[in-house]
Formats: sequence, structure tokens, C-alpha cells
Amino acid sequence: MDSRIILGAIIVLALVLAPAVLSPALVNAGIQMLIASLFACAFSLLCGQAGMLSFGHSAFFGVGAFATVHAMNAVGGAGLLPTPFMPLVGAVTGLLVGLVAGWFATKRTGVYFAMITLAIGELLYSLAPHLGGWFGGEAGVSTMRMPAFGLSFGSNVQVYYLTLAWVLLCLGLLYLFTRTPLGRVALGLRENTRRLRFLGYNVHMASVLVFAVSTMFAGVAGALQAINIESANYVLFNLDLSAEVLLNSYIGGVTFFLGPAIGAALMTFFGYVVSDLTTSWLLYKGLLFVAVMLFVPRGIAGLVQTVAASVRRCGFGALAASFVLHGVAAALLACGTVFSVEMLQRIFSQDYLSLARLGGKAWPAISLFGESWRPLAAATWLVPLVLFAIGLLVLREAMRRWRAAIEAATRGSDEANDPAVASGAST
Amino acid sequence: MDYFVVSLLNGVIYGLLLFMVSAGLTLIFGMMGILNFAHASFYMLGAYFAYALQPYLGFWLSVVVATALVGLVGVVAERYFLRPVHKYGHAHELLLTFGLSFIIAEFVKLFFGNFPVNYRIPASLSFSAFQIGPSTYPFYRLLIGAVALAMFVVIYLLLTRTRVGIIVRAAIHRPAMVEALGHNVPVVFMVVFGVGAALAGLAGAVAGAFYTTNPNMAIELGVMVFVVVVIGGLGSLEGALLASLLIGLITSFSIGVDYSMASLLALVGLGDWAREVGGLLTLKLSSLSGTIPYALMLVILLVRPYGLLGEKE
Amino acid sequence: MANRAIFKPLMLCAALSVACGMASAEPLKIAIVETLSGPQASTGLMYRDATRYAVERLNAQGGWGGEPIKLLQYDSQGTPAGAAEKLKAAIADGAQMVVQGASSAVAGQLSEDIRKYDIRNPGKEVLFLNVGAEAMELTGSKCNFHAFRFAGNSDISVKALVRAMKSANTLGTKVYSINQNYSWGVDMQHAIERDAAEGNYKVVGETLHDVNKIQDFSPYVQKIIASGAETVITGNWSNDLLLLMKAAKAGGLKARFATTFLDQPGNLANAGHVALGAYVVHPFDAEANGGAGVSMADEFKAKVGHYPVYVEPQTLFGIEMVGAALKKVAPENGKLNVNKLAVQIEQTKLDTPMGAWTMRAADHQVLLPMVVSEVSTGAKFKVDGTDMGFKPVKLLAASEAEAPVQSTCKMRRPS
Repeated sequence: MDSRIILGAIIVLALVLAPAVLSPALVNAGIQMLIASLFACAFSLLCGQAGMLSFGHSAFFGVGAFATVHAMNAVGGAGLLPTPFMPLVGAVTGLLVGLVAGWFATKRTGVYFAMITLAIGELLYSLAPHLGGWFGGEAGVSTMRMPAFGLSFGSNVQVYYLTLAWVLLCLGLLYLFTRTPLGRVALGLRENTRRLRFLGYNVHMASVLVFAVSTMFAGVAGALQAINIESANYVLFNLDLSAEVLLNSYIGGVTFFLGPAIGAALMTFFGYVVSDLTTSWLLYKGLLFVAVMLFVPRGIAGLVQTVAASVRRCGFGALAASFVLHGVAAALLACGTVFSVEMLQRIFSQDYLSLARLGGKAWPAISLFGESWRPLAAATWLVPLVLFAIGLLVLREAMRRWRAAIEAATRGSDEANDPAVASGAST
Repeated sequence: MDYFVVSLLNGVIYGLLLFMVSAGLTLIFGMMGILNFAHASFYMLGAYFAYALQPYLGFWLSVVVATALVGLVGVVAERYFLRPVHKYGHAHELLLTFGLSFIIAEFVKLFFGNFPVNYRIPASLSFSAFQIGPSTYPFYRLLIGAVALAMFVVIYLLLTRTRVGIIVRAAIHRPAMVEALGHNVPVVFMVVFGVGAALAGLAGAVAGAFYTTNPNMAIELGVMVFVVVVIGGLGSLEGALLASLLIGLITSFSIGVDYSMASLLALVGLGDWAREVGGLLTLKLSSLSGTIPYALMLVILLVRPYGLLGEKE
Repeated sequence: MANRAIFKPLMLCAALSVACGMASAEPLKIAIVETLSGPQASTGLMYRDATRYAVERLNAQGGWGGEPIKLLQYDSQGTPAGAAEKLKAAIADGAQMVVQGASSAVAGQLSEDIRKYDIRNPGKEVLFLNVGAEAMELTGSKCNFHAFRFAGNSDISVKALVRAMKSANTLGTKVYSINQNYSWGVDMQHAIERDAAEGNYKVVGETLHDVNKIQDFSPYVQKIIASGAETVITGNWSNDLLLLMKAAKAGGLKARFATTFLDQPGNLANAGHVALGAYVVHPFDAEANGGAGVSMADEFKAKVGHYPVYVEPQTLFGIEMVGAALKKVAPENGKLNVNKLAVQIEQTKLDTPMGAWTMRAADHQVLLPMVVSEVSTGAKFKVDGTDMGFKPVKLLAASEAEAPVQSTCKMRRPS
């Protein structure tokens, strides 16, 4: 417990000091990562803890954003509340809309619940562009941050600190919520609703309340987004955003409290950095997601926990070699994938195909990573093949070593505990 | 009158197209409990494969081969992607299919570009079948409808009259028992998934020529297919047919209706008030034709969640 | 990919300039914030490639202030929120001009964000170069001293279409207006209604339909046939246009189509001979004006691989116009005075192969000549690998195509 508090304090300190050391572009990315983390944690309250998979959570994010933008424009542009308190508007709106939507949605469970949330989200998405007064058509509604308490909120650093403060506050509240009776009942909703009913709880009301708490924090995230970019647009209601928070949460790992936050931060950063490097970045995102789903089912947080447990068992020294090999394998496989995808993208682009047709048999060379590659030469394709082959071999070796280290530790601890039993008992 | 007939025909045929894609989805859900987000991507793959093969194999053969190829893709997806995550629960499988749909769309963009491709009806098939009033009705549209109906009949007969069909239907309800009786249930799942994917691929190969073939096909059709499956009842083939026809007809007819709530209220003298309030009340039904299916899905989910023809669990 | 190649020199430049204190003119940085991935990437990538070509041409002529102009690219992912984020990144990286065109929603967001940034940071202003977003409000209620539109808009397009078709006697007296139900489509509908008197036609029917959701346009085709229209004017793009035209052929609609976006790549190939006889209005046609644009088109094709079509010519001309203005603005303390550049752009006249381009100071809408072309097998330049191309019917000079300043534009100029 102590080590976790220390770790948490270090992370918070790092976040607070970040703008002093990072470039403005990274501070911007940081604001987006914080907002995505809060949204993912709010979502995972519903999905991971209460076991209700929702496909329309972006509706509440969007509603929070729009309410905040309107509140900022209210009173002739001066704003309903001082700027630092604006997210309260998002919270209240998220809560109220969530109560209504949740009351209907939680009447059903499982797939049907998910479909209801999908329907609500899609309905809102199709209706919003027609309701120009509230949602501003496809240009959206724009606003401007007003100065408050001596701060102008004109610079990104101030927005960063405002966002950080609210995100930390909300994450703290979410954590405390898991400690309340209702938070515990939420876990029961996931595990066994029938038993809950027998214990005397009104399962429907409990579901509605948990739903509403989740949407309340989603509304806060939306409000922070509205304050950050000073506008809200109906595309926030798109299925894409709901899908993204789902992806982020599961990549991070929904069974851990901060898992979704980690997943959201990593994926947002990934998108931020990679989207400007290559136009195939969505493909990489999809491949990464499928790889995580297949090989790391409990998400990155789960992976970290497993690794930490193994280190505690076997000692760092025994596993060090395996770590390094795993890293090398990942790097090799990633390089092979990136090379193949980038080459294919260039070869199949319309312009290259037309140039190739003009050139006849000789296809012009493609320049990539500072080198020139001929697409028809075997040597070009040998590179990714070799990378893949070596990567897989290294991975196999890394996993073998890992297993060996765990087995040695298991044998060691059994012998240490009870020499008589050790010979008989085997895993 | 002509308008009515044409709208009816169009609605029915659009519905049949939706059915072709949703038939596989509802079977897959009924059997494996997976809501396959990648299903609309199989539809898109069918169209693109047929487009790629058309210059070499001609229209009909490329449709057949494209269908088979998509079926193969479905089998591979089930065996190597879905089966390993089966033990982690339904949410995981669903997310994996979602990731797959992402990847398929991106690969299509990688190989075929971002713009719509030139997949067209062969000249021999693009004539008009008959005249209705001042307008003509294209033959190819009727062909799409015929293919969908033929498909329904074949699948229905397969499921109800053959041994394989009995095993499949039993595996939908009681997979453990079927396995205990000695049948290889995982293989049955794999085959059903493959067949479902192939059906979607067939729909794509046939419809892609008439509608446009572009990388956003999956997104365009995707959510509507879910609506159909939910309204019809998850797992019910007849339900899917009924729901697709319903959605097709509603979409088709609502386009012609230029009335709104305000005009309805005008009948009781509240028209001006409604127009002043604006917003939802002045929205014309024709502008909302894309929204109605979602509203319908919401109503069904709240009132009768197992769908029109689904079975209560 | 371009960003990777210039990342190192950029870092080096930044490091050097910091080390040396005040060096010679800092290289001018232009950022393109566009949809480079996702469903609408096709158009965004065209803007990016055309901008890159145009900037390379400017650098071949010497760049600015003795340094080559640097082009930074950012992927807005097609959403206003993504664009807002990347705008901040672009400004943080030192960009003084932002180019964008693929979406009016994104353009609106960028325009407003740049306006707010410029208010908050006097002396460090940034310009917005809109090379394609055609929503009227961008030079109307959202008009902004630091924003320029280098493209047509619905008023200009419809006026050009109506005038050209009327003089070619192909307009008829009954016109049907079918458009997408969002600001662009609504703007088109208003423009079609407004030009009825001058075009001597009656609007026999109007439709606004869902954007990019309709697969089956035959009910709409039914309505058009029932109205007896002779010409259908539409601002539809992408799938909506293609499916409409296919449905029109399938339903046996005999009316002529007058469009604004038929020249989008892939449309003619997909539509096939359905498209023959349809009209399109665009800022450039290589065959127009006696083939004045052919050499420019050939140069473009040699470098990029295809003839400039759709949104590429207006991007080329727009950046060229900014380049011409840049030549008249000298570096001050090694940096560009953006306000001076803005004033210079207002006074720039660019001679393009289609005619003269000038920038109207009142609302920063460019006054440009428009070409109205007809899809025909007799065109000199075939498109999309088909036997069809766009044969110019009439070239309208800027003064003939221009639409008046909107009353909603109240531009605030810096003192």
C-alpha cells in the first residue's frame, strides 16, 4: 500500500511539473491525455465495475460539452459561472441526462443494454444536426474562455493546470466512490444480480444510480474538452468516440481502477504522435488493439501486474534477460510491420501506380526511411521477412526463459517451504 | 399510384439487401453469442474482391469466387482471432471483431485507395425491366432481390431439412449437449461463421456494382444491420427477413413524406404555435428517414427486447 | 512522411537559431492541418499534395527572405476537435499560416480558433488560408481579417452555372434543387432560389436529404420526375452525388444535372455514361481559355502523376497568390509581419491561365473566374481512365461570377 501511495505522489508531482519541462505541443497533448483518461475511467465505472457495456457513452460526453459551451456563452458571454467552476455544468448535465437515459437503458441487461445505449447515441447523432439552436449545425457552437480570479486562461498552460486539477479531483472521487456502499453494489451488479435481488437491493435503481454517476463524470470530461477547445460540435456524438473510449479502456485493462486511464493516455499519445508521421496510423492502431486483445487480454495494467508479481517471485535478476529479449522481439516485429505497411501503402497509392504504368516494366524505386527501395527486388521484401523471422525467434527464446525462471522460482519456494512436500507436489 | 408502387418495390429490395447482410449476423449471434462488428466489413470485402477479379473472370464467376474468398476470410478470422479469446467472455470477442473491422477497412484503403472504385454492372445486365408511369425500373435491382430471396430459401431449407442444419440449430440452443453427443462443435461454429461471412460477401459482390464501392461501405451499412438484427430478434432468420423488409419499406416511404409534427398539430389548430417552438416539431419526416430505424430499435428494445420473432431466453 | 524528412532540419534550425541568437530571416513555416486519415481522407490528401507542390514551386523561385519555406503537416482526423488540437501544435511549432480546405466544419473551427488566438497574442498573429471550404458563413458572420478564402462558394457556383447554362440554352425553365441537409446544401438551395429571376426559371421542387446516409435515391428521383424538371441543380458530393446520378439513370430521369463536385476523382469512372451531358462548375479546366492551362497541367502531372483536378487547381492558385504577396513583404527583424502580409494579399492580383484572381478586402473572399464544363466524350483531357472528360462550355470572368458581400460580415481590421 505504501509503495503505491509513493508512486502516486511521484506521478502527480511529475504531472504538476510537466509544463515547465515539456514543449507547448506536448502540454497540449497532455491536456488531451488527461481528458481521455477521465472519460475512460468514468466509462470503466460502468463497464468494468458494473459490467454494463455501453456503446453510446460519447452521448454524455457531448451533452456535457454542449451544456458547458452554452453556459460559457450565457449572460452575454460572461458565463454562468467563473471559468474554473464550469465543469460543474457538465457534471450536472451528465447526471440529469444519465438518470433519464439510464432509467430506460438499465431495464435490460447484457447485449440488449448495449444496443439501447447504441440506439440512444445514434439517435442523438442523427437528430443533433437538425436541432441547430442547441447543437449549432455542423459548424457547432463556439465560445471563449473568460478570465477569472486574476487568471486570463488565455494560455494553454493555465488550461492544463485547470484540467489537471479537475481530473485529479474526479479520479479521487471515483476512487472514493468505489469505497462507498453503492460502489460495492456496482461490483455486485457485475457478478450476480439475482443474488443482489435476494439480498434486498433494488437492482434497477442501483443500476440507474451507477449509470448516472458514470455519466456525470463523462459530462465533466466533456466540459473540460469544451473549455479546452472552446467549442462543441455534434460529431462528438459519433459512434467513433464511443468506440475509442471502449478501446482505450480495454487496452488499459478494465479490472483495475487506473487501467483505463493508462490505456487512454497511451493511445491518445500514440495517436497524437503517429498521426503526423504516417497516414496509415489507423491501421497501426487497429493492429495494436487486436494484438493487445489476443495476447494481453487483461490489458496493459494487467500485464504490469503480472510482471510485477513475477518479479516479486523470481527476483529481477532472473527475469532481466527475458525482459530485454521481449523488448527486442517487440521492436523487431514492430519494425517489420511498419516497413511492410509503409512499402505497401506507397506501392498501391494511385500516383505510384500511374507512374509505374508509365514506366512499363521497370517500377521506379521508392524512398523510405532515407533509403531507396526497389519494389520488385527480392532484397526489398527480404528485409521485413528477416525482421519477422528473427523477431519471432527472439520472442520464443524470451518466453522460454520466462517460463524457466518462473518454474525455478516455484521449485525454489516449494523446497524452501517444505522439503518433504516439494518432491511430491508439482504445479 | 406509380410513386407508391415504385416506393414499395424499392423498399422491398433495399430490405432484401439488408437481409442478405444481416442473415449471417443473426445466425452468428444466435449460435455464438458474438455480436460481430466485422460483419459489414465482410460485405465490403465481397464488393472489393469482386471488383478486383472482374477484369479476369467476368462478372458472375468473380461474384462466386469473391463469395468463397470472403467465406475463407471468415473462417480464418474465427479460427485464429475469435477462438483464442472465447474464454475471456463476450465483451472481449465483441471488441476483437471491432478491431478486425478497423483493420479490414484500413487494409482496403491501403490496397484500393480512398476513393470509390469503378465496380460497375456489366452492360449485359443494365437494362430496364419495365415501365412504371414516366419512369423505368432497372432489371439489376430485381436481380438483387431475386438473389436475396434465393439465398433465404436455400439457407432455410439447409437449416430445417438437412442433417447439418439440425446439428447447427441444436448447437445454437445447446452447444454442450451437442458436443457431448459427439459432434465437433468448434468446427460447426467455424463453418457457420464462414457461411455467415460468405453471405455478407455475396451481398457485397452483388450490391457493390449497383451502389458505390468505397472504403466507407462498411460504416454506411454497419449500424443499420445491427438495427435489423435487434428488431428482428437475435438468432432468428425469419425475424431478420421481417425486420429488414420493415426497415426497407419505412426508409423508402418516409422519404416522400414532407409532413412534420407541426403539420399534424395544425390539424388541431396548434400549427402556428408548433412552428414558433421550432426544433423537433418542425422537422420533416423526410429529413428524418435515416433516424427512424434507431427510434424503432429503441422502442423494440424497451417493449419487446427479444425482437419481433425472437425467442424469450 | 514529409514531416519526417523535414524534422531533422527543423530541429537543427531551431537549435542553431537559438545558439546564434538573432540569425538571418527565420524560415517561414506554413502548416497544413487536414484530414489525412479516416473516412474523408481522400479529399484531405489532395489538398496536402497540392499544397506541397505549390510550396515547392515557391521555393524553386527562391522561397522567402532568402530561406526555403517549410511546410509542416498535421492530421486533423476530420473532426473540428482534432483540428483545434493540431492547430495548437502547429502554432507551437512556429507556423505563421495554416492551410485547410476539406471540411467547412473544420474550417469554421480553425477560423474561430485563429481569431481568438490572434486577439490573445497581438504581435504573434497567424493567418488562416482556406483553400476549399465553401460555407457562406466563413466570409459572412465568421469573416475575419486574418482569414482568406481562396475558393468559390455556393453563391458564386450557382451564379456561374445559371449564367453559362442559360447562354448555352440548356437550362430550361423548370429547375429542381436537391441538396444535402447541412449548411452547404442549405446555402446552395438559397442561391438557387435567389437566381431564379435572373436565370428565368422556376424552382419546381426542393429537397434537403441526410448527408452520406442515403443508399437509395430512387424515391427522390421519383419526386424529380413527377415535378417535370428539366435541370437538376445539386451541390452533392461523394456518394450522395454518385448514387443520385445512378438512381437517375436507373429511374429513367431525362433531366440534365448541373453540379458543383462532379469532377471529384472516381465519379466519372463510377457513373459511366450516365454522366454524359452533365454540367459542372469549377475554377480550372485545362482546355478552357484556349488551352491556356495546359502547360501548367503538364508540369503538375510530370511531378505528381496526374492532371490537377477538383480541389487541386484552386489550392495551387491560392498558394501562388500568397507567394506573390510574400514577395512584396520584406522580413522585419528576420520575421514575417503577418498583418502586413494580410494587407498585401488584399492588394494582390494573380494572373492565372483562367483569368485574374483578386482578393476582395471587405470579406476576404477571392474573386475568381469560373469555368462551366460539360461531361463529354469530345473533351481533350480524359478523366479517370474513361473516354470522357470535362469540355468547357463557358469561361466566366471574375466579375461575371462574383456574388455580393454578405451583410453579416463585419470585419474588424487592426488599427
